[in-house]
Amino acid sequence: MFKSNTRKLIAVAMLSSLSFILMLLAFPLPALPAYLKVDFSDVPALIAAITMGPVAGIAVAFLKNVLDWFFSGSPTGVPVGHMANFVTSILFITPVYLIYKKVTSSKGMYLGLVAGTVSMAIGMTLLNYLVFLPMYAYFLNFPMETGSALMNTLVYGILPFNLIKGAFITVVMVLVFKKLKPYLDKVSQSYQLT
Amino acid sequence: MLEKMIFGRYIPGDSIVHRIDARAKLVFVFLFIAIVFLANNWITYGLLIAFTLTIVAVSGIRFYFIVSGLKPVLFLLVFTFLLHTFFTKEGTVLLDLGFTEIYTGGVIQGIFIAIRFFVLVVMTTILTLTTTPISITDALELLLNPLKKIKLPVHELALMMSISLRFIPTLMDETDKIMKAQMARGSDMTTGPFKERMKAVVPLLIPLFVSAFKRAEDLATAMEVRGYKGGEGRTRYRQLDWNLRDTVAILLLVVFAVGLFLLRS
Repeated sequence: MFKSNTRKLIAVAMLSSLSFILMLLAFPLPALPAYLKVDFSDVPALIAAITMGPVAGIAVAFLKNVLDWFFSGSPTGVPVGHMANFVTSILFITPVYLIYKKVTSSKGMYLGLVAGTVSMAIGMTLLNYLVFLPMYAYFLNFPMETGSALMNTLVYGILPFNLIKGAFITVVMVLVFKKLKPYLDKVSQSYQLT
Repeated sequence: MLEKMIFGRYIPGDSIVHRIDARAKLVFVFLFIAIVFLANNWITYGLLIAFTLTIVAVSGIRFYFIVSGLKPVLFLLVFTFLLHTFFTKEGTVLLDLGFTEIYTGGVIQGIFIAIRFFVLVVMTTILTLTTTPISITDALELLLNPLKKIKLPVHELALMMSISLRFIPTLMDETDKIMKAQMARGSDMTTGPFKERMKAVVPLLIPLFVSAFKRAEDLATAMEVRGYKGGEGRTRYRQLDWNLRDTVAILLLVVFAVGLFLLRS
């Protein structure tokens, strides 16, 4: 992974702390249920991915969730929610990184963020259907929702929520990126040299 | 809020639960999570509660802290209880509300799930209340050491973990400072139209990123100057030692699991 690259290791650790702090500042959205919260903890992961490569971005997402698990625990014992959050971050970061690598400009970043939002929304809807909702059902001993009720949860709950979440991160990331691009270019160059 | 983050949720103490090796505690909690799923009737669920409360008593932690650990999951707990009460249609009708009926099976199911929730949350809360995050990280590194064989960067992950933990209070302090500085300039992140609020987040994020990279740079230089070169042959400042009481704790849990297995229906 980062054998001997201490600088990258530490930058990833720093961004993970930041990501964790931003996770604590989560806020609910108006007009959606209060337990669906939006936070900007994916922004540090994105920054890590575009400056130090995709593995760094994924590492930030991973550490953020481990930290949060340390500090708040998980009601199901097995941290299903944290696993879901981790996968969401990967689904969001990867397309952004891949597109931005091809088109290293603001345009590439916008395109990537839109692609990331779409991939996150669709991916999470599918994964919730296949993995996470059954897992919750198993650990909480829920009767698993079936048929139209399940479809309703997915189509009117999870899909729009992830789209909105993605849209928020996109807006903030675009604003941050506009101001920070020269600095980020410098940083990423300094990591490529070592 | 800032003070609270320095040691995670750790509360210093000198009970046997505090003194047990962090590795033993981690293994204990992971085994316990699996064991909880063995319970399926009144006796076994009762035993689970008794076992958990005994550990709470032994740990010497005031019940208030345990309850505050339960607060964030209270919503989920009540929600699952109600869901089971209203939608599990087993046993006899207990109450006829007109639009729906409540069955005894549903209420019992609800209570069982609430107990499972309760013991799981209390157990993981005790782990984090009696162990510092840093020793949990050390313990995880040692426990996962064999996975180095399959090229999992265990040492690197543990290093990143402990650096993150160390810098959470520092960066939080900084976040707080920047927020106040921006507020003093008239920025408002909590009210106003949504567009304005989004815009107000940006002047908070940018200085945070720049300073995080700067701090990382300084720390990396400091570490390299002191000869840090990865995990190979590195000695430890914080030592963990496995005693007899740690083995006994694990054995007790195994005995408890066997008991549950025999009593479950």
